[in-house]
This record gives sequence, structure tokens and C-alpha cells, in this order.
Amino acid sequence: MGKYAVKRILLMMMTLLIITFMCFVLIRMLPPAELPIEDPHSAVILARREAAGYNKPYLVQFGIFLKNIFTKWDWGVSDVLYFGRDVTTIFVTKLPATVVVNLYSIIFAIPLGVGLGIFAAIKKNTWIDHTISTLTMVCISVPSFVYAFIIQYFLSYKLGWLPFLMKGGTDYFSFSMFVSMLPAIMSLGMGVVAGFTRTTRAELTEVLTSEFMLLARTKGLTKTQATVRHALKNCMVVVLPSIFAEFISIMSGSLIIEGIFSVPGVGGLSLNAINGRDYPIFTMVTVFYTTIGLLASIVIDISYGFIDPRIRMGSKK
Amino acid sequence: MKKPIALLLAAAMVVSTTACGNTPQQDVEQFEGNYTFKDSVSVLCTNWNPHTYQTNDDAYMADYIRSGFYEILFNDELHEVEGRDPYTTYKIVPMMAASEPVDVTEEVKKSHPQFNIPESATSGYAYTIDLNPNAVWEDGTKINADSYVYSMQQLLDPVALNYRAADYMEGDFVLAGAEAYYNSGKTIQKVNSTDAETLTYNLADLVKGADGQYTTPEGYPVFFGLQTGYAWNGGNSLGKYWEAYGTEVIPQDVWDAVTAKADKDGYCPVTDETLETLYKFTGSDAWGNETKEQLAYMMSYTYTYPTVDYSAVGLYKTGDYQITIVFDKAMGGFTLLYSLTSNWLVKEDIYESCKRMDGEVYSTTYNTSVETTSSYGPYKLVEYQADKGLRLERNDSWLGYSDGQHVYKDPHDGKYYNMWMSSAIECQVVAEADTRKMMFLKGELMSYGLQSDDFDTYKNSEYAYKTPGATIFFFIFNGYLDAIKNRENAADFDKTKYDLETMTLKSFRQAIAVTYDKELLATTISPSRSGAYGLIGGTYLYNPSEGARYRDTDQAKQALCKFYSVDPSKFSSLDEAVSTITGYDPVAAKALYKQAFDEALAAGYITDTNNDGICDQVVEIEYCASTHSNFTETTINYLNEKLSEVIAGTPFEGKVRIKESAPYGTDWSNKIREGMSDIVLAGWTGSTLNPFSLTDLYTNPSKQYDGKWFDATTVRVELEIAGEKITLNLKEWSDALNGTTVTANGKEYNFGEDSASVEDRLNILAAVENEVLQTYNYIPMLQDAGMSLLSQQVYYVVEEYVPVMARGGVQYLKYNYTDEEWAQYVADQGGELRY
Repeated sequence: MGKYAVKRILLMMMTLLIITFMCFVLIRMLPPAELPIEDPHSAVILARREAAGYNKPYLVQFGIFLKNIFTKWDWGVSDVLYFGRDVTTIFVTKLPATVVVNLYSIIFAIPLGVGLGIFAAIKKNTWIDHTISTLTMVCISVPSFVYAFIIQYFLSYKLGWLPFLMKGGTDYFSFSMFVSMLPAIMSLGMGVVAGFTRTTRAELTEVLTSEFMLLARTKGLTKTQATVRHALKNCMVVVLPSIFAEFISIMSGSLIIEGIFSVPGVGGLSLNAINGRDYPIFTMVTVFYTTIGLLASIVIDISYGFIDPRIRMGSKK
Repeated sequence: MKKPIALLLAAAMVVSTTACGNTPQQDVEQFEGNYTFKDSVSVLCTNWNPHTYQTNDDAYMADYIRSGFYEILFNDELHEVEGRDPYTTYKIVPMMAASEPVDVTEEVKKSHPQFNIPESATSGYAYTIDLNPNAVWEDGTKINADSYVYSMQQLLDPVALNYRAADYMEGDFVLAGAEAYYNSGKTIQKVNSTDAETLTYNLADLVKGADGQYTTPEGYPVFFGLQTGYAWNGGNSLGKYWEAYGTEVIPQDVWDAVTAKADKDGYCPVTDETLETLYKFTGSDAWGNETKEQLAYMMSYTYTYPTVDYSAVGLYKTGDYQITIVFDKAMGGFTLLYSLTSNWLVKEDIYESCKRMDGEVYSTTYNTSVETTSSYGPYKLVEYQADKGLRLERNDSWLGYSDGQHVYKDPHDGKYYNMWMSSAIECQVVAEADTRKMMFLKGELMSYGLQSDDFDTYKNSEYAYKTPGATIFFFIFNGYLDAIKNRENAADFDKTKYDLETMTLKSFRQAIAVTYDKELLATTISPSRSGAYGLIGGTYLYNPSEGARYRDTDQAKQALCKFYSVDPSKFSSLDEAVSTITGYDPVAAKALYKQAFDEALAAGYITDTNNDGICDQVVEIEYCASTHSNFTETTINYLNEKLSEVIAGTPFEGKVRIKESAPYGTDWSNKIREGMSDIVLAGWTGSTLNPFSLTDLYTNPSKQYDGKWFDATTVRVELEIAGEKITLNLKEWSDALNGTTVTANGKEYNFGEDSASVEDRLNILAAVENEVLQTYNYIPMLQDAGMSLLSQQVYYVVEEYVPVMARGGVQYLKYNYTDEEWAQYVADQGGELRY
């Protein structure tokens, strides 16, 4: 296992370097935003681009970029969206809002989703199962921004129970902040609940009909005992990695939901950086999420071995 | 001309200051309680540094945390403007300055020859400004002459490359020596042509070097800029032409030859060989048979600025509380004072701590957070969270709260009040209009900009305010017959089914112009806007110091009557005549379509093979869409619907259609200019304080949309100016109107601001407007405007929109309720307000 993990980490670093290089070059290959020909400010922008080294060969630029990271941990300065500000500072100050909203959303969604899935599987082909399955399909099909508007209209506008927008400030774990986040948490959570309900139901239904479950019952276990001790454990081989994946995705913000509820997170950062040709922000954000994604895949792969000992990592046989 | 205006303003300011000084402070009503102005934006400012900010979003806080040398206030009893009722215009008063600027051109010309003030100049080039000694930063630090000099030095610092440095190097407010200092020691490629007419060096001026490359007489190497966008060519470069049209325009061998000699930035040395190569196609039919000398318009030269220090810049200290400003070109009067309503001040200790080198240029975090911001305006920043919101609170150190000048008399109750009643300003990001609307109706926002869907509900609300915009949206209508013929000759174009040439006929274009009811168009596609009838909108002021609008002048009204064939003599007044203009005449349109049919048939553009009096072809007009949107779709649907109604019963019944183009993105303007697309709703926005400058947009081929098919030098117009009948072409009238000396018929003419009477200038402007309208290349359709609801918590002291001042903004906003009272009021209304 250890050897396998080291091998994966080394491979990950190589992949990260390649992806970083590709993204670095591709964003710089985009034609710069057109500048008005008669606007005297255009000359200033061009001069800044030249002075910032954007007209140097891409390989030279990439070399300077790596050197600054390894020698000074300097990821550059935003020159469009947050002019003059250090990009790591921007990212680090915006990330908590995204993480907290997503975290609350998952904490609310996972137990509910898994619970509903178990309940539907146990009550398979009853009206309860049909109701849960239908609602699940509806929740999966409807985009989260639709919930956002419905929640905002009814709970914030008509009933006045919740604020329209997330509260300002950085007291992310205060009660008032939690209340102000509720509309965003609910909007984001709907799809997650439905996803877990569907996965859990499907897996558990299959396991419950397995021969070993019959064996467990013939051994004298009650249905509840058999389900909890054997069926649930088996179905978690699929459900648990998706829970891990969901936790890892808490750092990726939702452009639309963050916009609707004024969550000052990282949701629109990548897209805005591409549109604004803000190279340092785009590169930093891309490297961060690539790293997270690669790490996540390793963690998930390794987790299979722990969940189901029959799965052997790195085994050639 | 400028001097009398300056003196008038100066005298007025003295009167104003005296009047304010006489206002007994005890007569001013005092406010108690909290009054929070709750605002929202779609995008929050991220960088409000006066040296580097780039967008309007970033300018959000400027009026709150900064003050200009001078300030514009409403005229009222305390700030009187002779002959004007209170709150109908405005007055410029000193703010960070202690008094009006004093012209010291003669003195500076002698004492500072390095600023190169022309020998003949006696005024307008240099001014001293006494600074208000009471001005301080929010922490109490004094603001003196050193503060201004330091700030300008930082702004123009050659290593900083500040975005706003350009504001002091081009335009009206050009500081002497600013460009030299900003570019000190730098080598740049300078474009040889500043516009379609002005060359720095003619071909004959160039000198051939030993290596065969031409240089300027000073020895700067000269190049063809293959990737350089030229103003005379709408910003397009040869490279762009090559990308767009390839060998249709530039022969392959020519392009290969010049690119082979060019460097990575597309600069190809000018030699005899490259001159001949490029002339192969610029002298051909495809490029318009230009002369070899005209190749100079495509040239650039490598220029190295000499190394200079800040002493070269015309802004220096002449006393602890006095600065002197020297300009590169003369300015004065309203323009000078208006330019000085903004400021470039930065706080030295914070500014120095915010710098960091980034490559070969320095960046700064100044004014990007609470810690890096210090105010010298009415409010100070106390909270800021990027992409979330900000909070400003009253800056008690601001000198305006105690100068006795920031007081007004409320016309509603006749009492005196201090300006800036809001005790705090909160602004948060609200991305969605629907959310803004709900928050507004719950009393959580001060205003709400109406969306299309809201107009039926709120347009008659007593809380709805309409604010006119500067832009006139017109249909730019393709008349480029050569391009249209090329399109028709394409292999996939079926001439038996479709026709494009008919749209170039004047009768057809006139018919289109009177086919649409402009007010109905506005109501249908953009309800906050209204119909437009002239090229120049209702917000343009020909005399900014008096707030006089061009559209209100007799000349402008007569121009409209002439264009729309309304005889003013048949009405009791010119206003009545103008009020009858609708620009919509379906009867005349039908007759014009019939006339166009006959002309098109005679010209062979269309056929009528079965002689049924119906056109065989469909005249297909391409609507030039930058992107597909609901707005474009609604517009095109409306245009086709009304077109079908009007052409019914004419030879074009069912035979004219407007179809949407592929999304052209930012290339849409090139498509229109090149005659590759046919119609688009677009407009210009110029300086609303100078309508005269707009004529250049319609007569200068480097700016015209119709430059490829309308030559303004071919239209001759006779006008009587100062008793003399003068005939000039349209371009010459426009140039002369904007201060260029034009030579015609052996005489020199200049009708610029200082050289002609306002009446004469208005006559010229109206004549140019009428002539451009007569081309039917631009058909005015919509006057831009916005409409918003104002919260019941507040009211505007001034209900009517006043140019430049609008309704006074937050400065003149009065509250009906404190924050606590407002919360109770909203609760009493059931939590949802009715507007």
C-alpha cells in the first residue's frame, strides 16, 4: 500500500506539472482583450503588459513563474480583477466563504440523502419508495438556481424568515451567519440529497437481494441486523467514495448560487479570470484545483482498500 | 471666450461664498438619528486608487471619499445663478482650492521656459491655485502643496505605468512635460499617422540609411507596422485584414514578402524594396488605388525619449498652500474648473507602504482595502469585503461640514439643511435584478432600476424617476454598393430569389425611416427609452456653464423640421411644429416603397418577370448581431412585424425581410463598416458638455461607420456666418467647428470655441446634423434613458432632472424616516411596500 501511495504521489506531481504548464500556456495564448485604438489608456495597458513580461516567450514566462513560486512562494499579482493584490491573498480570503457554505450543505445533505436512500430501499416498491424516487428524480433534474429563486421568493420575500443574502463579515461560524447562509445551503443541498438518496437506494436494493443476505437471514439474523451488519457495509463501497468526493468538492464554489446569495467565495474566480485575462489568478486557481482533484483521486482510490479489504491496491495479480 | 467665462464664474463664486457665509448657522436644521443609505451594485469596486482604477465600478467611492479642487452644486438662494430659478442649473464653487485659479501664463512663460509655452500665448497655459488650508485626511494629517506634488509625481512615475497617467497626457487636461516624464528614457514605436489626415513625417521627409532602411530626419528607424491598429482605419491593422480577408485583399506574395522581413511584433523595415512590395497592392483596385505617398500612413518609427526628472512636469509648489499648473495646450473657463472637480491625491505614508515591484513595473495595493484607504471626502471607509460589500461612515474631519458652503434651502419646506444627510452608506453586491426588486420592496434598498417587465406596473408610480442617457441609438444602414455587389456575386447567392442592392436606394432608405413608430418601438423593446428624432441627444449642453441644451435651441429644432419636412410657418411656434414630428408615416412609406421599386427595376437590381407589379426577389436585410439575445430577437421580430404591415399593398409586399446575422462578437462594427452586414441599432456617446465634437464622428472617415460609402468632403453646404456667406464641405465645417483652421476659397476659417459666437456654432452644428440625417445612413430610433424607483424612506430635493447635476445624488437626498422609524414603517405595511 505504501509503495503504491508513493508511486501515485510521484505520478500526481508529474501530472500536475504538465497540467500547470498546459494551462499556463493556453491562457496566455488567448488573444488579449481588444483595446480601443484611440483611447490613450490603451498604450499604458500595452506598456504594462510588456513590463510585466507577458510578451516574453512562453517557456521563459513559465520558468519565471516556477522560480517565483519555489524561491518566494510568489504566485503573482492580479493585474485586472483585483489590481495590485497578491493572488494567494485573494484566494485565501475568498475560499472560507465557499468552504463553509458547502460544508454546511454537505453536513445537511449526506445524512438526509443516505437516510432517505436506506428508507426507500427497505420500503422498495411501496408508495414510500415511489414517492422518494420521484422526488429524487425531480430534485436531480431541476438545477440548483431554480431552488435558489424559489427559496428566496418564499422564505425570504413572502415569509420573511430568512435574509436575502449571506451576511457580510468573516464570522463564519456565528449563528447569524449560519442563518444568512441557509438559503444557499438549501439550494446547494437539494441536488446532493437527491444524489445520495439515489445511489444509496440503488446499491442497497441490489445488496439486499444478494444471496449472502439470504444466508444471513437463514443464520437467524433479523432483517434489521442483516441490513445493518451486512447490507449497509457492502453498499458503502460505492457510497463512501462519493461522500469523500463530495467533501473534496466543498472547495469549488458555485458560480450561480454564490452570485444569487452574494456569497463572497471563489465560485466565479476561474471564469472571471479567463474573461478578464487575469493570468496570475487563473494560473493560481487552476493549480490549486488540479492539486485538489489529483489528491482526491488518490484518497478515493486508497479508501477502497480500507472499505473493502478484498480490493488490493497496486497488486499485479 | 474662455476668459470672460472664467471671470464670470469667478465672480459668481465670490458671490456664492459670500452668500454662504451669511447663512446663520443656527438657522440650519440639525439631523438626529441614523440615516443609512442602502445601495446595491452588481460588481463591487476592487481598486479605487485614483492612479490606477479602470472601470466605473471602481469609481463608486470617488465622490464619497475624495473631494475635487472645485465642486458642482445646485443653484439656489445660497448659490445663486443670475437669471435662473433655483435648482434649474448648477454652480461651481471652490472645495479643496481656496479660491478660483489665477492665470499666470505670462509669468511662467518667463520663469519656466522648459514648459515651452508659445511666445504668442498670453493666457490659458499656467494657473496658480491657492489650496484650502483646512483640508485634512481622515486622521487629521494636513493636505498641503507637497501632498499634491508628491501625488502627481507618483501618478506619472515612469516605473509605475499607472493607468490614469494617460488622463494627464491626452485630452483637455494635458500637463506640460507629463508625457516626457512618464516616458523618460523609454523606447517606443510611435505611429506616424494620428488620424486620416495628420502625418508626423511624409514619405519625402524620410532619409535612406546606409543599410537601405529609411529613418526620420532625426535618425529614428522607420517601419511598416503590420500588426499596428491605425486610427484612420478604425483601429484595424493589415494583419487583421489578412486574417479576415486573406488574398481577397492582400496578394499572397506581398504578405509573405513583408512578413518575412518583419520582427515578432510585426514591424517591417521601410526600404525601397518593401515600399515597392506594399505599393503593389495599396496602389491596386482592391485597396483603392492609393498613391505611394499614402504608405506613410502605415508607418511607425522607433523613438527614444530623453531621460528627464519630475522637474520637467508642469505641476509644482509655489507656496505651502499654493501650486502652479502648466498645460501643454491652453484651457480655461468651465473646462478648466470642470477638469479640476476631480483629484489625484494619495496619502504618502500609505502609498509608500503599498508598492511592490512586479517584473519591471511596480504594482500597488493602495486603495484596495480599509487599511490602505484614507479619506478626505465626506465619508470614510470603515468596512470592505471584496465581492461582498462596503460601509462608509461620516468623515468628521471633512472640511465641507464646517465651511458653511454645503448648505441648501429645501424648496419643499423653505428651511436650511446641511448636505450629505446620510450618516452612513452601505453598499452590497446583489447580482440578480429580481433579488434587488424583492429587497427594495421589503425596504432593504434605496432604489431599484426598473427592468423591462416592471414598466407596466411601475411606470406611473410617483416614486419612479426617469434619467435620460447621452446615447442616441440609430439604425446604421448599409449603403456600400460595391460591397453589396461583391456579396451578390458570391457563388451561393441566388440573385433570382434575393436582392441586396435595393437597400442602397435613397427612396428605399427613406421608406424604412418612416416605417417605424419610434415611440412604439421604444415601448416594445426598451420601455425606459423613448423615440429619437435627431442625431444629438437631449442631454448635450452647448453651454455647460449655463446648462443650456443643444436640443432646446431654435437651430436644433429647425434642423428637425427640415429633415422631417415640417413647415414651421404653419404652426404658432417652433416648439409646436417640433411636437408634431413622429418620424412615422405609413402612407408616405408606401409611396416611397413604390418609388424604390420603380428605381430598383430601372437599375436592374430586381426583376418583375410576370409584370404583376410585385418584386420577384426578397430584399434581405441582415441585422448585424454581436451576440444572440432576447433583445435582438424582440427587436428583429418587431421590425419585421411592422415592416410587413407597412409594405402590404406595395410592390414589396412580403418581399422585404430583416434576418439576424451570425453572432459577430466584437467584429460587428467592422462588418458594418465594410458593408458586410446591413443594419444595426447602435449609437455614439460623446462628451455631453460638447455636442460640437460629435460632428467628427459623422464626417471623419477614421470614425464614421459609413466611411466606405459616404464621403463628407463631397457634400457642400452654404451658411451665413457673421454676415458672410461661406461654402465649405461637410468635413471642413466639422473641422472648423472643432477648432481646426480650414483653408478654403483662399481664406482661413476657424469656428472653434474661442473663434466664433455660440449662435454661429449652433448654426453650423444644426446644418451638419441635418446633412448627415439626409444621407439616411443613420436613422435615429431611440433616446437612451433609465428609470428607477426611489425608496419611500427618502426623497429628492430636486424632482426634475438637471443636466450635469441629475437630481443631486446622495448629497441632496432627504430622509423621511430614521433607520429605526423606517424599520417600524415597513413592519406596519406588512413587510412589503407598495410603489
